[in-house]
Amino acid sequence: MAEPKHDYPNDTNIDEKDQKPSKQPGSDTPKKRNFTQRQRNIASGYLFISPFYLLFAVFGVFPILFSFYLAFFRWDGLGPMEFVGFNNFAIIFNDPLFWKSIYNTIIIGIMGTAPQLIVAILIAFALNSALIRMKSIFRLAIFLPYVTSIVAVAIVFSVIFSNQDSGLVNSVIVFFGGDPVTWTRSEWGTKFAISAMVFWRWVGYNTIIYLAGMQSIPNDLYEAAKMDGATIRQQIQYITIPMLKPFILFTVFTATIGALQIFAEPHIFQGRGGRPEGISVVLYLYRDAFNSNAFGTASATAIVLFFIIIIFSTMNMYVTNRIGQPAKRKKVKA
Amino acid sequence: MNRFWKISAFTATAAVLAACGGNENGDENAAAENGGNGDNNGEENVAMNEDDAEVTDLGDDDADIELSFWLFGATGYPELAEEYVEENPDVSITFQEIDMEDHHNNLFTSLSAGSGAPDMAAVEVSEIDNYKEATDQFHNLYDLGAGDIEDDFLDWVWEVGADVDGDFQLGIPTDIGPTVMFYRQDIFEEAGLPTEPEDVEAEIDTWDAYRDAADQILEATGGPMADNPESVFNAKRDQAPENYFNEEDELILDESPYVRSAYDDAAEMIMDDHIGNFEMWTPEWGAGMADGDYATLLAPAWMQGVIKDNAPDQENWRIANMPEGAGNWGGSYVTIPEQSDHPEEAFDFLEWLLAPEQQVKAFENMGLFPSTPESYEDEAFSEYSDDYFGGQNTARIFAEAAEEVDYVYKGADYGDVNAEILDGLFNVLDGADPDEEWEDILQRVEQRLAR
Repeated sequence: MAEPKHDYPNDTNIDEKDQKPSKQPGSDTPKKRNFTQRQRNIASGYLFISPFYLLFAVFGVFPILFSFYLAFFRWDGLGPMEFVGFNNFAIIFNDPLFWKSIYNTIIIGIMGTAPQLIVAILIAFALNSALIRMKSIFRLAIFLPYVTSIVAVAIVFSVIFSNQDSGLVNSVIVFFGGDPVTWTRSEWGTKFAISAMVFWRWVGYNTIIYLAGMQSIPNDLYEAAKMDGATIRQQIQYITIPMLKPFILFTVFTATIGALQIFAEPHIFQGRGGRPEGISVVLYLYRDAFNSNAFGTASATAIVLFFIIIIFSTMNMYVTNRIGQPAKRKKVKA
Repeated sequence: MNRFWKISAFTATAAVLAACGGNENGDENAAAENGGNGDNNGEENVAMNEDDAEVTDLGDDDADIELSFWLFGATGYPELAEEYVEENPDVSITFQEIDMEDHHNNLFTSLSAGSGAPDMAAVEVSEIDNYKEATDQFHNLYDLGAGDIEDDFLDWVWEVGADVDGDFQLGIPTDIGPTVMFYRQDIFEEAGLPTEPEDVEAEIDTWDAYRDAADQILEATGGPMADNPESVFNAKRDQAPENYFNEEDELILDESPYVRSAYDDAAEMIMDDHIGNFEMWTPEWGAGMADGDYATLLAPAWMQGVIKDNAPDQENWRIANMPEGAGNWGGSYVTIPEQSDHPEEAFDFLEWLLAPEQQVKAFENMGLFPSTPESYEDEAFSEYSDDYFGGQNTARIFAEAAEEVDYVYKGADYGDVNAEILDGLFNVLDGADPDEEWEDILQRVEQRLAR
């Protein structure tokens, strides 16, 4: 016990004088003295960060690579794997339901995210303005939906969007003389209900991000604009939005990826693993993997989704990158 | 002022979170009450229940033989097994109870990975055919002495736990779900139909008679006879001698007359407004049990708990035998994975746990309906009466139904085919043409089976 204690002061001495391998240690502990202090520092550094990388390798990198591998096999999860080449891709590309799931995902993505980001900016602007009192409680209230479980949201919304005439939304529609909608099984009813869920749950999250962005905009800009007689609309258009660009980029980016990965909402809302009206790409591959035990086609779908996400993200980056530019030019002209 | 709002906002959040927590517990209880009995459609119940596994350790820590047992739902087996562990001090058992979907995912993963599987694992009847594809992952229970206890169980139940040739026994049956007709006495009375179970059974003894009764009910009350197309279709399908695949695992959906006729009959009843729009496990479906939105439920024994949960104050539900015979819906088997180090000891325990005597206790404790006919002779059965169902001896009726069921081959892809048919039936309910929809179903099934 006492011996190691003696070692420590020695070590720190070495440390202070940087590396001095020449100072041969007394022959009492010759075990691992082959490493220089620098090498040890490097090793311990890697050791400290290794937990994340090990976990990431096991639960992140390996499954990703494995699903690339699996996409070329037919496998039910228990039996032997059978190499099938590109057949899995052929199967899904020939399946009308696969294309339907892509269509659904995009439509629900647009219906759920586009209005949501616009409304989030408006709410954030309102919360940021001096006119509103009790800001904290409004901020909290708008953010609260984000902390609820998606499953709970889906169940509550399936009560609101009930198929029965007596359902909440249906009774409003009937009251105004419309026909009740079969929300869980109709083409647009399902998409509307799912988009509404996405909107409700995420609008607060984006609002808070925009709000943080707005608070970083110096007030002098607004004051100067007011002096020049700018209206609120002009303030939003020429100050808020251009200055918010990095934040908008971030939210558009995350919202796009989130929208393409939508799963729990249609899964719970339609029940029984989804139906053609609301099936999303992720739900489609989930159904393949966990209802049909077809891990090959599920992996193939995942890979296709991977490329779709890359394409959409690039497109969105390109489009949103241009946001501030026309505004700037006008400003220069003015 | 600012401070005040911060505090009140914080309190509000805390209250909301506390309420969420409370709900979670509530769901757990609800799931427990109707769980364990194979509601393979109860995804909402399952999904809500995100709580961790419940682990029970029985026996001495230093016992020579340490067994592990994975189950789902509320079986009450850990309590039951206390007696066994006392009598066998060299054995200790660890129970892991978890919700049904997670349970099967865990089991599937551990078998697929080749390590981590328990000594004993329950498998729900709707999942068992998937595991029959991988018999090398399990012990053949015939090698462990299952032949000696085979005669204790109902033939058809036992057969479902074996592979097609019948020489590999994958699991020992636990509980079963024989189906009956639950009906609303008050609605039957309003429509001028008999109200006592014996009279109802005598009057509605065929599906034609069921349709006639549906006509009378529609005329008198304007309401549907059945809750949704699924229950009517299931009831008739489960009475058929063959379903979607033959024993060579070839799809016979288009050739076999039985499924098509079950589909057609359900479609016709939809057209005649005899079938409601109350999809299983939706809130309206549950509320309908209390409000009398539909007159009958064609459902298995475990539905008793669901009805009692949804309509605790309702006094009008009664139980009668289903017209033209019963089917089975739900139930489980216990398997011994190949990875087990102590298959003999595990089997000995299962032999004890699932013997008629213990099955009677599981029935008394948790309402698990026994798969051993000898249990039905027990006093617990002959003296049974359920006040909720007007003091009826419901156990007797389920026992009769259980003995009426015939074995039918299902196959590993049964669930996929079934899902497409149900989608189709609901499309018919929404106005699709039944014949065209049938063609669509065949196409969708073909797509799914291609993978």
